[in-house]
Amino acid sequence: MDVNRRFSEDARAVRVAIVDALFRAGGGHYGGAMSVTDILLALYRGIVCQGGDLNRHNRDRVILSKGHAAIALYAVLKHLGLLPNMDLGRYGAFGGCLEGHPDMTATPGVDFSSGSLGQGIAAGLGMAFACRRKSHIWVIVGDGECQEGQVWETALIAARYSVSNLHVIIDNNDAQEVGWSYDPRLEQRPLVNIEAKWQSFGWATMTVDGHNYDSLLNAYHWAQTSDLPSVIIAKTTKGKGLSSMERDPVKFHCTTLSQEEHQLLLGELDAAEIGA
Amino acid sequence: MLQKLGHECGEYLAEIGSTDPSLWVLDGDLADSDGAEAFANIHPDRFISAGVAEQAMVSIAAGMAACGCRPWAFSFASFLCYRAYDQIRVSVSQTKLPVTLVGAYAGGCGGRNGKTHLALNDIAVMATLPNIQIWAPADRNDVRLAVELILQEAGPVYIRLPRLAQPALPGPAEPIRWIGQPSSIAMVAYGASTQWAIRAQELLHQQGIEIGILHFLRVWPISITDITKFFANVTYALVVEDHYPMGGLADLLRHTGHSGPIEAAGWPPFWAGQSGSDLDVLGFAKLRSSDLASRIIRIQDGLMIKERPFNISEAHS
Repeated sequence: MDVNRRFSEDARAVRVAIVDALFRAGGGHYGGAMSVTDILLALYRGIVCQGGDLNRHNRDRVILSKGHAAIALYAVLKHLGLLPNMDLGRYGAFGGCLEGHPDMTATPGVDFSSGSLGQGIAAGLGMAFACRRKSHIWVIVGDGECQEGQVWETALIAARYSVSNLHVIIDNNDAQEVGWSYDPRLEQRPLVNIEAKWQSFGWATMTVDGHNYDSLLNAYHWAQTSDLPSVIIAKTTKGKGLSSMERDPVKFHCTTLSQEEHQLLLGELDAAEIGA
Repeated sequence: MLQKLGHECGEYLAEIGSTDPSLWVLDGDLADSDGAEAFANIHPDRFISAGVAEQAMVSIAAGMAACGCRPWAFSFASFLCYRAYDQIRVSVSQTKLPVTLVGAYAGGCGGRNGKTHLALNDIAVMATLPNIQIWAPADRNDVRLAVELILQEAGPVYIRLPRLAQPALPGPAEPIRWIGQPSSIAMVAYGASTQWAIRAQELLHQQGIEIGILHFLRVWPISITDITKFFANVTYALVVEDHYPMGGLADLLRHTGHSGPIEAAGWPPFWAGQSGSDLDVLGFAKLRSSDLASRIIRIQDGLMIKERPFNISEAHS
């Protein structure tokens, strides 16, 4: 069994777990969880878990700054055996240890809390300073999240200090919660000229297919050898893997589904090509 | 020579930092004003200037604390507490990480800077976030004790410091203590307002009136044990605040269970601040030492009147 096929099976299994969990939890951020799943899976499987004992102080750290996709993080951690006894259906439940947005005080394996967009890169920069460049710090943000000013404050500082062990991955699914669809004369995408923007702030950039394991691994390896802080622009699709979700990103930003809708999603996953 | 309390803080951190490699200092491009430069000059490898970026600075500090460091993030109290409030809420208060936030130029005496640079409700906004201790040193010894005790703590801390250098208080520093003999009518104060209270105490002493000052170095949390102990014989407390009356120490005392008569003398709630010398703004707000002394005398007279039995002949005289 080749590595790529195994990854696509992992990617499908994680998506099934997410759909199941969100239905049992009463709803959630389906679309953004699906767009970030492969990024997280490739990162943990291919990089973080390859580095040795995850309890050692100088291990790599991951911050899911787009914290509303928390269920994807939890599902990936559980699939890789890092949350063995966790019931994903308790996502967002009182006392369930899986807060709606990542909470480092509640869930083992969560390196930093998130939920208020724009703060994760700075927290990651702090980690990068603290570990004196001995670990790699990976921060996953949304493209809409890059509208927060703090993102750019932090980008300036990281470039000034040449913090080369800080790596940002943008889940570039070209969508956000509402956007500007009410006025078609306006630019609709959350962020444009992304490479140019980050390069002008002094970062190294690479744009990849955010659903292809080989492309993602290649990007992660590139980032590890960069002399500058690096940003990987991962082109993704909101709702990736489920055709009804991909067709309606606004509805599936955050929603609650009926039993029938839920069953339809599971059927779509069976038929989908994922992780190719 | 007296120096600003921010510099006292930075200097003492630098001293301790020589043997404690976990100490880092961050600053928001105000190091020469807020005192962070005193650390930066000695330990440049453990100093990070975030530039004019308070939100990033606070989150960076939190990330460092998550990896075992003890970061102290300096700025003006206004920019730290207000500009970066969400970052303090989410990355420091909610995570309970050992980040110490040093807010210089707290209170209403901003000199030429004026209203944008003042922090008049920083205690209110910080005390209403879970897990954050609040310290308000009034002199060099207070700063040094605060630094020592904070480094023994494992969670978030906010220290507010006045703008200018402050003379030494009489007696050794303690978290809560009397300055002068305990009295039944007492002034309660912290930070710069303790200095105002001391001058009022002296004015009252010259008139033969002895009023003690209950000085708080740590403003929050307050324990009911401390209230019981220190307020046991206090019949009336005038809390002098370099802060709005709402949400300052008087309110925190009431919230913690102090049930005796208590009033706050602070900056007028309708006042957003303005440029001016300390004397000018304190005079405007009736917070000069002479104002405080007059207020104590009125309190004293008022309490004495209430204790006298009602006399019709006096009422018509």
